[in-house]
Amino acid sequence: MRQDWRIIGLFIGGVLVLGTIVGGPLLYSIKLSFYTAASFIDPPQWVGLGNYVKVLSEPLFWGSLLNGVTIAISAIVLQVVLGVTIALVLNRQFVGQTVVRALSIVPYFLPTVVACLITQWILDPNYGLLKSVFASFGYGMFDWGGNSTSAKATIVLVSVWIWTPFVVTCVLAGLQSIPAQLYEAARVDGAGVMKQFWHVTLPGLRSVLIVVILLRGIWMFNKFDVIWLLTKGGPLNETETLPTLAYRKAFLEFDLGGGAAVATISFLMLASIILIYLRVFPIDEAKQGR
Amino acid sequence: MDIADGELVVFVGPSGCGKSTTLRMLAGLDDVTFGKILIDGRDVTALPPKDRNIAMVFQNYALYPQKTVFENMAFGLRVRRTPQQEIDRRVRSAASSLGLEALLERKPRQLSGGQMQRVALGRALVRDPDVFLLDEPLSNLDAKLRVRTREEIATLHARLGATMIFVTHDQVEAMTLGDRIVIMRDGFIQQAGSPLDLYDRPANAFVATFIGSPEMNLIDGGLMRDGGALVMRSGGLSVNLPAQSFSEAERDVTLGIRPEHIERAETSTAFELVVGLVEQIGAQTYVLGKIDGNKIRAVFARDDALRAGDRIFVNLSQEKLHLFSRESGKTLRRTSTKGENGNGRELHGQAQLRRAEFQG
Repeated sequence: MRQDWRIIGLFIGGVLVLGTIVGGPLLYSIKLSFYTAASFIDPPQWVGLGNYVKVLSEPLFWGSLLNGVTIAISAIVLQVVLGVTIALVLNRQFVGQTVVRALSIVPYFLPTVVACLITQWILDPNYGLLKSVFASFGYGMFDWGGNSTSAKATIVLVSVWIWTPFVVTCVLAGLQSIPAQLYEAARVDGAGVMKQFWHVTLPGLRSVLIVVILLRGIWMFNKFDVIWLLTKGGPLNETETLPTLAYRKAFLEFDLGGGAAVATISFLMLASIILIYLRVFPIDEAKQGR
Repeated sequence: MDIADGELVVFVGPSGCGKSTTLRMLAGLDDVTFGKILIDGRDVTALPPKDRNIAMVFQNYALYPQKTVFENMAFGLRVRRTPQQEIDRRVRSAASSLGLEALLERKPRQLSGGQMQRVALGRALVRDPDVFLLDEPLSNLDAKLRVRTREEIATLHARLGATMIFVTHDQVEAMTLGDRIVIMRDGFIQQAGSPLDLYDRPANAFVATFIGSPEMNLIDGGLMRDGGALVMRSGGLSVNLPAQSFSEAERDVTLGIRPEHIERAETSTAFELVVGLVEQIGAQTYVLGKIDGNKIRAVFARDDALRAGDRIFVNLSQEKLHLFSRESGKTLRRTSTKGENGNGRELHGQAQLRRAEFQG
């Protein structure tokens, strides 16, 4: 009986903490999206769905959504492909395996600010590292921040740099849980390296990849720091995404209601995509299938 | 060693003896340090598993978890680009001979251990290989299922006439299944021969104790002539031996007698066995006791009255006695064995197969 109380106590504690730091702000932000206010001090004015109508009719909103999706998908694809490849290499037996495995996770420890500053220092068109390298060959420097594609690519590359180690770590753990006998059975069955990868490795990584892609998807879709630090949504809103748009509206354009509406729409979209994703790729069944 | 076409050979030995390594070398999963493997006269030593035309059944079944039973069995054929019709025919025929027809659309996680083992067998069967390699295929099954699957494998072998190599650590499995048994220890073949050959004429003390359950009693002692008779003495115990049967080259010997070859006797001219522990297993009564201070295990016909502390008389039937050199462990029996490797032909080095020729 005492244990029951302990469990209930812990449960209530958890709910209270979650409610205070997640549920409260979430509900407050949803509430705010039905009002108009220039700051948190001003008394908000009820406008109903006005903010939503305004936001949804702006081309910038749809552009930001498309940018966010483009950046998220490119980053996830690269992170997963690179992560799986690196994990496959690290999973082999070689001298110094432990050291290399440990080193491979180092970028993950790097604070995002540091990673972004280093990137800027390398890429800066006026005094960057690449500029001097190019100059020594007699070439000029390309302005990466002035072009939509290269600005997006930079954001994607930095995200891949920082977050691929996370994928590597998860996939490496997944690889080690695939029984060696399955590979032996496939070899006896006549499968070569590619067929072994397709019929043994990938199915064995299924549940890990489902979770990794889900988590990376959520984090990339909500990514703010890398974009803000590198491009602030520029050039000309070409790297603007829903999180930066919400921030811009709320804190730079003093339109708290509009920002809250963007955030709420973004939250609802992400939640529905996650629900559909989990319906199509159920984590439980993947587990049983192993 | 040579294995004939259609033979079922069992590699048996304690864990770490090299039996699985040998099988894996035959499959091409482990490298051969030296020596050759020939299948049907073809040197396959350097070939990858897929080019050896072998099929293997693994201890943990190694079924592809995401594939259905049908696809598990069909995979090897698909990789070899067998026409779909042929795949269908072979899988269904194997499924029907293993009673798997109703399970073809299931995934491995929906099967019991016994069913998974049958699918693993089926996967080997559809390939129609030159040699079946079975690596402890029964050890993950419960006792009842193990016996049934063992019978199924024996039936399958009889029906297909396929060449099979079966690895196990269980001597009962080896005895019941094998046309021929190869007993291994520390990477060396101790003896190879028919099950009864190994039971009746073990080449050394290791084989003698490994085959048979409960295991053979071994008593260390000295060999000497007493008048005209050949006698083994150990403490107060003195056992007469048939003089022509054993070499007298060594003095320090080990006498062996199987528990089931110790017979109850009425007369006091026999040996006196002091009963220490009685185990009733139904049809028989197992007794652990002492004869002149030597620990002895005996198996008698059921005797409900036997109690610890009882003193009973027993005979050690002379023609069933074994004698081994205490130094080398080798048998001192004169007309050694009928088996080809009577003296425990040695393989060189840990788990290195000198030459395995299969005429498939």
